[in-house]
Amino acid sequence: MSILLSLFLKLSAFSLVAFGGVNALLPVLFNLAVNQEHWIDVQTFSDYFAIAQAAPGPNFMTVTLIGWHIHGVLGALLATFAIAWPSSILIYFLQRFIMGIKNPMTKQMIQYSAAALAIGLVLSSAWEIALQINHSLAAYVLTICTIAITVFTRWHPLYLIAIGGALGILGFI
Amino acid sequence: MKTLTPKQLFISFSKIGMSGFGGVLPWARRTLVERDKILTSEEFSAILGICQIVPGPNIMNLAVCVGSRFGGARGAVAATLGLSLGPIAIVLCLALLYEHYSYLESVKGLLRGISAVGVGLIASTGFKMLRDEFRYPAMLLVVVLTIIAATVFHLGLGYVVLLVSPVAIFIARKKAQAL
Repeated sequence: MSILLSLFLKLSAFSLVAFGGVNALLPVLFNLAVNQEHWIDVQTFSDYFAIAQAAPGPNFMTVTLIGWHIHGVLGALLATFAIAWPSSILIYFLQRFIMGIKNPMTKQMIQYSAAALAIGLVLSSAWEIALQINHSLAAYVLTICTIAITVFTRWHPLYLIAIGGALGILGFI
Repeated sequence: MKTLTPKQLFISFSKIGMSGFGGVLPWARRTLVERDKILTSEEFSAILGICQIVPGPNIMNLAVCVGSRFGGARGAVAATLGLSLGPIAIVLCLALLYEHYSYLESVKGLLRGISAVGVGLIASTGFKMLRDEFRYPAMLLVVVLTIIAATVFHLGLGYVVLLVSPVAIFIARKKAQAL
């Protein structure tokens, strides 16, 4: 039971600092689940990350899978709930307040600062996660190609995931 | 203003959750604005803007905002459940398959390939947003500070946010005045 409580409390705390969404949270999640609590190993984390990327749905599924690993379906539901409830309650009360800000300058100021913070966190997150899950030069090349293709073209991410998976099966990555 | 029953919200958001391969947000726009016509395009952008500045899973925030707007607290709960239950069921089925077949070399390779692409997809969301920041380059300082605090000094996420947000607000104020 205590492991579930610890899962719940820690993920709940993360929810309120996750500027940039769950993607920004991944390194913290990695640190918690792999290094501190030893819930899962590096390989399992990176596999769960891959499954979450390949499955349809919101990008918090890595969290769901870690919960599942710890305590089955209950763990999965609890982990998902924990990552979502504090921020959900926050926005429930905050949305009317933000919508109601009359001064456009204040509104923009909030928006600009949060955006910059989110960009920094998402980029750091991608960097740290890449260091953990990419184990070969080919993997880094694939990551960099993905970035180039998504930034400069309008390819659907699903194609890239399929190509990445195929290259992996063929043993290139 | 229009109201929607929790059931309608649940169904709309289920569609969004289940169709969202590689990011749910584009599907949210397609479903809410184009197909179900719950929101106008401007309303959607305004709500999305708010959801992205608040911490937490962005798409979940969107479900809370849209759900509560059309159906109060019960609507918010219905929307978030609709968004997450289907995808959770699918991902857990995949997890069961993974338990059985993860020893296969081809499965290991498959997941290695997907995760290398996945981390690239995350980085590219960051880079795409970064392009807008070049309109006011001083803001890049905030991005750089955040990255240094997080990757060089390995500060916890909460400390990074606490440390960088005063600088961010200061520069954002200037940016709002300048543009």
